Amino acid sequence: MADKDIKIVSFLCNWCSYGAADLAGVSRMEYPADIRVIRIPCSGRMSPKFILSAFREGADAVWVSG
Amino acid sequence: MGNLLEHMGVERDRVHFSWISSAEATKFVDVVKEISEKVRALGPNKKFVKDYN
Amino acid sequence: MDTCIQKIRELAADLLERGEVEKVIGFAQGTIPMATSPISVGTKQGVDNLVFNSTCGLNLANFASRQKGKIAIIAKGCDCRNIVTHIVENQLQRDQVYIIGVPCNGMVNKFKIAALFEDEITGFAEDGDTLTVSSSSQTKTLKKQEYLRENCLLCTHKNPVLYDVLAGDLVKEQVLENAFPDVDKIEAMDVDGRWQYFKRLTQNCIRCYACRNACPICYCPTCFVDEAGPQWVGKGQNKTDVDTFHFLRAFHCAGRCTDCGACVEACPMGINVRDFTRKLNKDALELFGWEAGLDISKRPPLDAYSPQDPDDFIK
Repeated sequence: MADKDIKIVSFLCNWCSYGAADLAGVSRMEYPADIRVIRIPCSGRMSPKFILSAFREGADAVWVSG
Repeated sequence: MGNLLEHMGVERDRVHFSWISSAEATKFVDVVKEISEKVRALGPNKKFVKDYN
Repeated sequence: MDTCIQKIRELAADLLERGEVEKVIGFAQGTIPMATSPISVGTKQGVDNLVFNSTCGLNLANFASRQKGKIAIIAKGCDCRNIVTHIVENQLQRDQVYIIGVPCNGMVNKFKIAALFEDEITGFAEDGDTLTVSSSSQTKTLKKQEYLRENCLLCTHKNPVLYDVLAGDLVKEQVLENAFPDVDKIEAMDVDGRWQYFKRLTQNCIRCYACRNACPICYCPTCFVDEAGPQWVGKGQNKTDVDTFHFLRAFHCAGRCTDCGACVEACPMGINVRDFTRKLNKDALELFGWEAGLDISKRPPLDAYSPQDPDDFIK
């Protein structure tokens, strides 16, 4: 099924959402495996270029989280 | 960003922004679930994808 | 506009003679009819080359910054707003530039006029609101108002916002019921309709970057399209690359674009590049109540934080 191939490129801030993802991991919480995490040093590092680059390389969605 | 992409004809639910503290693992899980559901509803993206052939 | 150019020349000659400025930046007649090119005049004798008419569609604010010494610049309403943007963005100090403000009644759409003729245009003259355009086979008299560029038709800042001297009488500003009819038209389409619309819009783009070079706010030393490591966008005619270029260029203009129309003016393929930036202008106005380049004391919305900033897009 096509649903299985969905890729959500996620730009996560090292100090916030990346920490939350880490905590979710060590707490053994379950969440969909569609996200591909890219750690950025701060959400201020984010640029519109990154979002378009992700789409260009075939991402189905982009998620930016601080 | 989302507004202009939408203006160009890319679906709104393909770009998400959120704010999650490092202590909010539950919120992280909730947001991942929500985004995943929305994107699955849209299906695979065909716009703005570079065709290398 | 005849009186206006006399006044501009007098002012320019006076400034140069007194040594107040090192050069005057203005428009000169181009090599073909209906074309003007930017010119930098450094001597009193040179001021006779200056012209100002309805074909001065480029934006001179482009040349205001990165100059040595003090310059004088001939500025329409939109040029003026871009000079303000340059000052706000610290590209230029207020005392480095002497602004000769020219109230403007709009510039003509060259593509629209050229479309009326089958052969090449050989002559162009204007008198008030009447244009006389001729080719080798015919001469047509046109009403200027009907052949204005789209951005000039929707312009609400015809008068310079910041100037040292005015070269003409202030003109009446128009009040628009709806400032963004073109954006509304695109917004009314569905998702795929919009995608198709932009697909058709950019299909002729030859990636010459004339829009970027003509744009007064595109002054980055290295543009993202020229960066090689990493290469954000391919160099070719690939549709995704073309769209990426237009999208990112427009996005870099968010909250800064003054809708001067220089990008459309410069485009050799007649692409309405403004369709991208107009949406951002509308958003800037609706979300932040902001129009670029009106006040040198205000920071642009994407540069300043306020607790009132809209945040409904964040989960």
